[in-house]
Amino acid sequence: MTRRIGRLAALLAGLGLVGSALAQDWAWPLPSHVPAPRVPADNPMSAAKVELGRRLFYDPRLSGNGTLACAGCHLQAKAFSDRTPRSTGSAGALTHRNAPGLANVAWNATYNWANPAVVSLERQMEGPLFGDDPVEMGVNDGNRATILQRLRNEPLYPPLFAQAFPENPEPISMASVIRAIAAFERTLLAVDSRYDRYLQGRLQLTAAEKRGMELFFGERAECHHCHGSFNFNDQVVHARTREVETPFHNTGLYNLDDQGTYPFPNRGVFELTAQAQDMGAFRAPSLRNVALTAPYFHDGSAATLREVLRIYSAGGRDIPEGPLKGDGRRNPHKSGLIARIDLSEAELDDLEAFLGSLTDLSLPHDPRYADPWPAGYRFQPTHTQEAAHRETAHRSTSQP
Amino acid sequence: MHAHRLPLLLGTALLSACAAQAPSGPQPVVIDFALLANGHPARCGAPLGPLGADARSSTLRDARFYVQDVALVRADGQAVPLVLDHDDWQDGQVALLDFEDATGTCQGGTPATRTQVRGQAPAGDYVGLRFSLGVPEALNHTSTELQGPPLDIAAMGWSWQAGRKFAKLEVNPEGGVAKADGARAPSWYLHLGSTGCSGNPLTGETVACLRANRVPVTLRGFDPRRDAVALDLSSLLAGSQLGRDQGGAVGCMSGPDDPECPAVFARLGLDLASGQPLPDGQVPALRVVPRP
Repeated sequence: MTRRIGRLAALLAGLGLVGSALAQDWAWPLPSHVPAPRVPADNPMSAAKVELGRRLFYDPRLSGNGTLACAGCHLQAKAFSDRTPRSTGSAGALTHRNAPGLANVAWNATYNWANPAVVSLERQMEGPLFGDDPVEMGVNDGNRATILQRLRNEPLYPPLFAQAFPENPEPISMASVIRAIAAFERTLLAVDSRYDRYLQGRLQLTAAEKRGMELFFGERAECHHCHGSFNFNDQVVHARTREVETPFHNTGLYNLDDQGTYPFPNRGVFELTAQAQDMGAFRAPSLRNVALTAPYFHDGSAATLREVLRIYSAGGRDIPEGPLKGDGRRNPHKSGLIARIDLSEAELDDLEAFLGSLTDLSLPHDPRYADPWPAGYRFQPTHTQEAAHRETAHRSTSQP
Repeated sequence: MHAHRLPLLLGTALLSACAAQAPSGPQPVVIDFALLANGHPARCGAPLGPLGADARSSTLRDARFYVQDVALVRADGQAVPLVLDHDDWQDGQVALLDFEDATGTCQGGTPATRTQVRGQAPAGDYVGLRFSLGVPEALNHTSTELQGPPLDIAAMGWSWQAGRKFAKLEVNPEGGVAKADGARAPSWYLHLGSTGCSGNPLTGETVACLRANRVPVTLRGFDPRRDAVALDLSSLLAGSQLGRDQGGAVGCMSGPDDPECPAVFARLGLDLASGQPLPDGQVPALRVVPRP
């Protein structure tokens, strides 16, 4: 017990979490060209909540079978994206789409690759937590109470939950888990790249980066139409936003039947609306730290940034053979902004150099974003304990 | 006050006797529901018999649905809202019916079941019942982790539509379901819910859906003392090929372009394209049966 208290005291001291400093202790360390993000009124930021969220983000106890953490598919070294085109869930099934990077995810207007219904990180998280097609984290009504008991059994958690949710008499709930992880995700900032420092007059871009920047923001390459905000996308919401647009774009990656069809279940917003104009329409992702997030596109079907640039240079992707055969360049639903522009190899070099200048190296290396658990930590469910607990948890209900 | 409480304490068996003594006060009313397949109650452990247009021997995997806007209809046609009791299965606006008990062939469910809607209505003779399969719009997009019962069931959450499954009806046809891509799936799913929803990023709330997909039901000749509401899987799946899936989700997950949806939506009296009820108001999959 003494040792536990000592550990906790050390943790809290390290966070500066003492006394009244706990409340309203969050400030956004942002350069002047980046507005503060919108934070839901019912989930204010605090240092304790962010630290709790970080521990949960890296905690495999949060998955049904105790094998997978959020961080299993969102790797810090990859700007919190995954290495593979599609990720493997806790039960072994592959996700339908590529795990997106989380850099500056606080400013997203919508989440997932193509889902106008999901407009907060808190709601987004219900997908990987509870989804069963495929199972990702594998939380369900049968194991939710067991998972929460695992968290109660970790000595670090009860005081951290209490600090993070001081108004809640029973703070350990899945709702609190979701809120804490969302708060941590909102801190995953990429606002100190070479490009940001250039904007601040702190450094000069290289000649290649500058030529790439001019192409990027020019009317020939037209990258900026969909990637033109401070966050290098076109769906941004921040603390003072009054109007927000949520465009989705077909960029001519597939054309299975000359009618413009994309492969099921990756037909973009069409999967929700079944409206022809939404076929193949996906959210333009932020290009912050994009050099770290290969493979690319919603299905991870482009292995390198160069491959992506070549596809856009060609005005889409022609797949000459195989089950996905079709000329995406002629997709009838393709955005008018995607046209053949025949960039030279030198121009592709320049664009790639500019995209590289958007990498904030603090994101993949900052210890504040890193796995806080001891190296080699592995959760071993104690089966007898959990079985006994399940006996009493006939019907799981969420905390009030 | 005492007279009003008495029937509550004594239960529904004395409903008519008490009603005579206190004709104006609210009386307990129980609406029984049944899940049928081939004329028999459908249960997790027992064979359901042949289902679907291709008559596949099937077993049950899941059977749960929400109802809203429950009202009794008087002889003069007036609809009297049933004031729902508050318990783990219903709040003031929505009730969960749950026929799976997490045993046998059922998967991912809960041990407890609930086959009744319970509430209060003024005493009187009722000749009909109205309700909708669905969750009211104001509650549909709430989080399962923040909402109380009965909207706290994760399995009834529908995260990709940021809402809820109004109905989750799943069967395992013998031999599985052959998919269009050559693979085989064990279960045929019906997930009914609002689709094509969009949110407001400024508030973080989901605000509108293209297709409501709520099923309004009117049952004539329904007396809650005598009758029950049957959801008949044989009728619901009568037009569906359970052994072969032509594309989209396996079965029908309310996808407007899913080849399996037109048949089952027709049995629910819904127009697949609009998500609105068909003009004739008929819901073939539901009917009045004697109380068990």
